[in-house]
Amino acid sequence: MNSDPWVWLGALLTLMVFSFLYKDNPFYKFAEHLFVGVANGYYIVFYWHQALKPNLFDPLSKGEFLYLIPLFLGLLYFTKFIPKISYLVRIPIGFMIGWGAGVSIPANFQGFIFRQLEGTVIRPEGFANILEGLWAVLILIGVISTVLYFFFSREHKGVLNFFSKTGIIFIMIGFGASFGYTVMARVSLLIGRIQFLFGTWLGLIM
Amino acid sequence: MRWSEVISRVDRRVIYSLLTIFVILPFFYRIKIPQNIMPQTEKLFKFIDSIPSCNKAVLLSIDYTPQTMPECHPMAIALLKHCFKRKIPVLGLSFDPQAPGLAVEAFGSVVNEFNSTAKDNADSVIYGRDYVYLGWKSGRVATLIEMGEKIIGVFPEDYFGNRTDTLPLLTRVVNYKNIAIAIILAAGDYPQEWILYAQTRYGVKIGAGLTAVMAPKYYPFLQTGQFSGMMSGMKGAAEYENLLVKYGYAQDTGKAETAMNSQTLVHLLIIFLIILGNIGYTFSRRKSAAENNKSNNPRRSYEF
Repeated sequence: MNSDPWVWLGALLTLMVFSFLYKDNPFYKFAEHLFVGVANGYYIVFYWHQALKPNLFDPLSKGEFLYLIPLFLGLLYFTKFIPKISYLVRIPIGFMIGWGAGVSIPANFQGFIFRQLEGTVIRPEGFANILEGLWAVLILIGVISTVLYFFFSREHKGVLNFFSKTGIIFIMIGFGASFGYTVMARVSLLIGRIQFLFGTWLGLIM
Repeated sequence: MRWSEVISRVDRRVIYSLLTIFVILPFFYRIKIPQNIMPQTEKLFKFIDSIPSCNKAVLLSIDYTPQTMPECHPMAIALLKHCFKRKIPVLGLSFDPQAPGLAVEAFGSVVNEFNSTAKDNADSVIYGRDYVYLGWKSGRVATLIEMGEKIIGVFPEDYFGNRTDTLPLLTRVVNYKNIAIAIILAAGDYPQEWILYAQTRYGVKIGAGLTAVMAPKYYPFLQTGQFSGMMSGMKGAAEYENLLVKYGYAQDTGKAETAMNSQTLVHLLIIFLIILGNIGYTFSRRKSAAENNKSNNPRRSYEF
């Protein structure tokens, strides 16, 4: 059994959280509130030491007064709480939206839209391996039918109905895959805790 | 209560107890369930295996959190072992505020393991020469773009407060041109930004180690070739551990492989419970439909 008090604390808190599986109780509530408090404390200290201090206050204290501009822009966010001058909050928001849009729109087109469209194009060389060729056809059918399922400008009848129904099948397969992976992820977390309780804490397993 | 209702309304506490038992069992009874290796994990492994030693570095963006540790931590350990065994330098960084502690732990444990058996200086894994952990940086879009120009410009100091221009590794690794692949181990949408800003602008090769929840979203990037490989959840980590053993980089598999036995058993239990629930639901529906018909019959006979 581990003698490290921090391991004991971790184990007891884990058990307190797990006690919720039986029913809500004061031990669970205590662990939950402690987590919220610790998480907030961690983030405040982390952002102060890793973001604000080295990126803003340290350069300012060294006389780099150019940093007053981002400080001023940042402080303008707080004008939201003063009704008379709350319109000033638009300045930093406008700055962020302008910068964000300028940087991300071309990148999104290049990285997501064009490359993903390219991925659905069937090329003759793709059929060098017959199985890969069939997958490419399947992906093309999947993409077209799923997109058509979300085409609401016309009633889903005839050919459109056929493709939208096919689209539902692809969407359902997607949901099924997501569900399966989600189950795996959640079970992994339980396994992690069990390894901690029975291994790190009690020393019963390797 | 009818049998069909009993099996479709199993108390959740019974299910939780069964889950716990199924998770614990393989640890005590050493059940070994064989795992297949998925192509995307093998692709990532082979990519790293093909990087010439001491040439370009592997950039490891460690962005997972304590709650997703069971899935992503074994990935980090396996990747570091592979790189250090092959003498490939590793550059670590994080964009998730919860990650730095875990990154330091991952580097520390692997480095200690290597150095405990090292015979000389050349055989050891040395900070600054073989690996550097740059730490956390705010404003990740700007950071990703700026790293394409000069890494030490964005990270003048590493996580431990050393000047990065004094570290030998960072005199060789100037920007993305000196990075063979950036592997993002994440529990959030960080790989997306690597694709958008590091790959589209600078052509960086990208690999990923993701939590299982995120994996389905990222499969299209494998198909388009934007990902040079991917590990999905605990299974991905276990596959990588198996590959390390298969190709002689490790003697034994790690935590993920052991945990996969529990994972498989729990999956079988969940499939069984889903089938059981559906059988119960179907029969109880049939029964209630039959009862409804019975109670409606007098009215029908009246109508006739």
